[in-house]
Amino acid sequence: MAEITPNSLKKNTKFFKRNKSFERSLNIYGWIFVSIAVILLAIFLFYPIVNSLILSTMSSKGIVQKFVGLNNYKKLFHDEVFLTGLKNTFIFFIIQVPIMLLLALILAAILNDKTIKFRGVFRTGIFLPAVTSLVAYTILFKMMFSLDGFINKGLLSMHIIKNPIPWLMDPFWARVTVMIAMTWRWTGYNMVFYLSGLQNVPDELYEAADIDGASKMQQFFHITIPMLKPIIVFTSVMSTIGTLQLFDEPMNFSQGGVTGATIGPGNSLLTMSVYIYNLCFKYMPNFGYAAAVSYVIVFLVAILSIIQFKVAGDKK
Amino acid sequence: MKKRMLSILLVMVLAVSLLAGCGKKETSSNQEQQQQPQAPAEKTGKITIWAWDPNFNIAIMNEAKERYQKENPKVEFEIVEMAKADVEQKLHTMLQSGVKDGLPDIVLIEDYNAQKYLQSYPGAFADLTGKIDHSKFANYKVSLMTLDGKVYGVPFDSGVSGFFYRTDYLAQAGYKPEDLNNITWDKFIEIGKKVKAKTGKAMLGFGLDDGGLMRIMLQSAGQWYFDKDGNVTVANNEALKEAVATYKKIVDAGIIKKTSGWNEWVAAFNKGDTASVVTGVWIVGSVKAEASQSGKWAVAPTPKLNVSGSVNASNLGGSSWYVLENGKSKDIAIDFLNKIYAGDNDFYQKILVDRGAVGTYMPAQGGEAYSKEDAFFGNQKVYTDFSGWIGNIPAVNYGLYTYEADAAIMAVMPDVYSGKLTVDAALKKAEDQLKNQIGK
Amino acid sequence: MKVKRVVGRIFVYLFLIIAFVVSVFPFYWMITGMTNTAVDVIKGKMTFGSHLIDNFKVLFTTYNIKRIFFNSIKISVLTTVGTLIISSMAAYGFEVYSSKAREKTYAAIMLSMMVPFAALMIPLFKLIVKFHLINTHAGLILTSLASVFIIFFFRQSFKSFPKDIIQAARVDGAGEFKIFTSIVMPSMKSTYAAAAIYAFMTSWNSYLWPLIVLQTDKQKTMTLLISSMSSAYFPEYGVIMAAIVLATLPMIIIFFTLQNYFVQGMTGSIKQ
Repeated sequence: MAEITPNSLKKNTKFFKRNKSFERSLNIYGWIFVSIAVILLAIFLFYPIVNSLILSTMSSKGIVQKFVGLNNYKKLFHDEVFLTGLKNTFIFFIIQVPIMLLLALILAAILNDKTIKFRGVFRTGIFLPAVTSLVAYTILFKMMFSLDGFINKGLLSMHIIKNPIPWLMDPFWARVTVMIAMTWRWTGYNMVFYLSGLQNVPDELYEAADIDGASKMQQFFHITIPMLKPIIVFTSVMSTIGTLQLFDEPMNFSQGGVTGATIGPGNSLLTMSVYIYNLCFKYMPNFGYAAAVSYVIVFLVAILSIIQFKVAGDKK
Repeated sequence: MKKRMLSILLVMVLAVSLLAGCGKKETSSNQEQQQQPQAPAEKTGKITIWAWDPNFNIAIMNEAKERYQKENPKVEFEIVEMAKADVEQKLHTMLQSGVKDGLPDIVLIEDYNAQKYLQSYPGAFADLTGKIDHSKFANYKVSLMTLDGKVYGVPFDSGVSGFFYRTDYLAQAGYKPEDLNNITWDKFIEIGKKVKAKTGKAMLGFGLDDGGLMRIMLQSAGQWYFDKDGNVTVANNEALKEAVATYKKIVDAGIIKKTSGWNEWVAAFNKGDTASVVTGVWIVGSVKAEASQSGKWAVAPTPKLNVSGSVNASNLGGSSWYVLENGKSKDIAIDFLNKIYAGDNDFYQKILVDRGAVGTYMPAQGGEAYSKEDAFFGNQKVYTDFSGWIGNIPAVNYGLYTYEADAAIMAVMPDVYSGKLTVDAALKKAEDQLKNQIGK
Repeated sequence: MKVKRVVGRIFVYLFLIIAFVVSVFPFYWMITGMTNTAVDVIKGKMTFGSHLIDNFKVLFTTYNIKRIFFNSIKISVLTTVGTLIISSMAAYGFEVYSSKAREKTYAAIMLSMMVPFAALMIPLFKLIVKFHLINTHAGLILTSLASVFIIFFFRQSFKSFPKDIIQAARVDGAGEFKIFTSIVMPSMKSTYAAAAIYAFMTSWNSYLWPLIVLQTDKQKTMTLLISSMSSAYFPEYGVIMAAIVLATLPMIIIFFTLQNYFVQGMTGSIKQ
């Protein structure tokens, strides 16, 4: 295990350090490798970002725009709907992400064990929710979690509850329902990242641990988690982005055809991204203000991601 | 080695430019088609249309297209089907970006949104005043597409509302059809209680955060969240107060089956769990989809609010056609709408029979299809009734912010249901939030 | 000890089976859904019905399914192949040849991933119109060739790749691209497999951007079709389910094929 730490790399590069022209040529190779991606991103990502940053200083009614400077950002702090969205988003983030990632990690560790039978079937099955169409998934979940739906009937018949749970009709339960749905949909998705990461962990480590008499639990904490650290950082950053931009579930679980009004009972499912959407497409279109909300999300995700990198002790 | 990488790069650049090339070709060939010299007498061109709902708007547009093509065989149609939210997203994005490429010629817009589009994108929609005879359409439809004295659209389907009920359940509770005519919401609740007691069935499927019924109640009183000049009238709106109070009464009376979302709401009456539905006429398709309930349904006028000026007719939803000023085939598009949607009586009979679409083109309502008896509704002449009610719908100004207002009010409703806020306090809170949001 | 192991095993399998059933159930429901009528679907019928053929008939006669399906396949395959090459190269460049300037570039890229797409849509759309890529599949493919998400994933995976091997290859005189194409790429198969699954999935499911770029029914993708079908006064759920099952199949096939790489692990050259 020692030979793959970054330190060993440093030691080795010392060998090349003396050769300046080699260094320079490596640097050029570095740029060549990243060039296509960087050029494409500059055109299709950086340019629009600069554009929308400028837009975030405008207030608009459709194409009727005026410059307002930082007023959009100031307005945000008094905008009750936005603050509700912020609060809801964080509730989802703090509770749902850790549960889901831990579950994914456990499943990946189990399914990486070569002595388990039918691994291919289990893997595919557990990944299936990630490829299930949003339309189907929404219809079904709404049906299962309705007042007289499958879930309530089941819980009632097992005498776990006395009265049906108002899943999508009560602010608290609506959030719970959405978290259950999100966990259902994204656990298998994250599991696959871990599984692919685990293939880069040499089997010898587990074999050696077995010989040393380490239990599966010990192996999980002392081999699996440390070796997967870069991938764990990756999934937690991605989940942070995903959750802070959470849109599909709240939007679809609350939509009521031509008659939908709030996002969940008392706006309990309103997230920042749904608010952005409404500001652009459902309400009087104010793209400038919507852009300002977007950059608040960027700011928050950036801070949370830096924390995650730092906690994991990942360089940079 | 370098050479190999270089060749990979080259191939990729080639592939990319090829892809880009494909793109260009397609657009330019489109343009060529457009630029063909036009024969003086015969109309040629291609009309692009955006709409939603495959079994309703799209199917109806296809019927219209066939009729128009009989006279104008050289006019092509590109009817693009999208979800309603998708049409809105796409239209906003394109109008906002100010590009003219790829705009449709005709687009379907929901009535609640009409003023928002017209005022947000001045110059984007073609002025149809004088080009279409708007006097032939229902007054309330025309007024919502009028801005500064100019009329911008061609009215299409009506959202005229009705009180659909199960005759068998109501009979069990001791009510005859004539008992249900022109009632108030208070009477409706009273009936509901009796139905619940006698049959065990809920009177209504009801979404606690659904503002649809509230809009029906408001419009029946000729009121809205805004006055004629667009000022917010939430806190001091008698009709709205009564509507909110009625919502609470309906919930408290225990006569509802709580539902969440469209499907569950539809399932409630499809499964026979509820005795009635109060909503727009477009629900007929969903009601009839459960064929086993044929003959057990009837329709009465919409209940009215207990405030002065409220009538037994209202509206929920409905949409209209608009022509884009910068579309490539604007003039043909207007001619098409004029010939079919503002002139073809038989067309409206056909779409009523085939699709259950109630148009707002008044001359068509004397037609044969409108006076037919419908076996599903116990041989009631439902469409005669609906077209009668259309004339009574009070015209209101939906203004620019209907959805904002709807959300603001429904957001305080949980506190109204629980009794935490009085109706007045809740409406005050909603008004403050709404004013802050729209900057008034 | 042995008893404990057996009990542990039982729990592990129980856990797997529960996770499996919960995950697969909606899929089962979709399949029953496509054999039923819309009313039955809404009413929550969970058993097989007799409308399978009718639903498919409606699907195939009302829509140009073949064309739409092919569009989706074409866009997703081209995007996936392109993304894998471009993004893995970039990630390799960032991870292996670290320099301050590139780290800063990388940080900027990572930051840009956090901007919600809705904020970028209008400027991006103007760009596409300027490049005459509106209503073309190229407009979709080009904009998603460089995926920040995939670059990030590759870079995190490359972190666990033993750098000694690269050094050793250099000492042996191998060129930089040769090292990448014949040593790194083959030994990171599981990473490429996972990235391929995700790139394909993202492209296949992408919805908002295709909606904005594509203008005609001819260019439409499966995701757009399903979305348009479900927005109706009276949605034809049986037909919709048939379309959904059809649209899900390619992803399942790809996952099922590529998942073999998750068991193989690293190839011999690395394990030594």
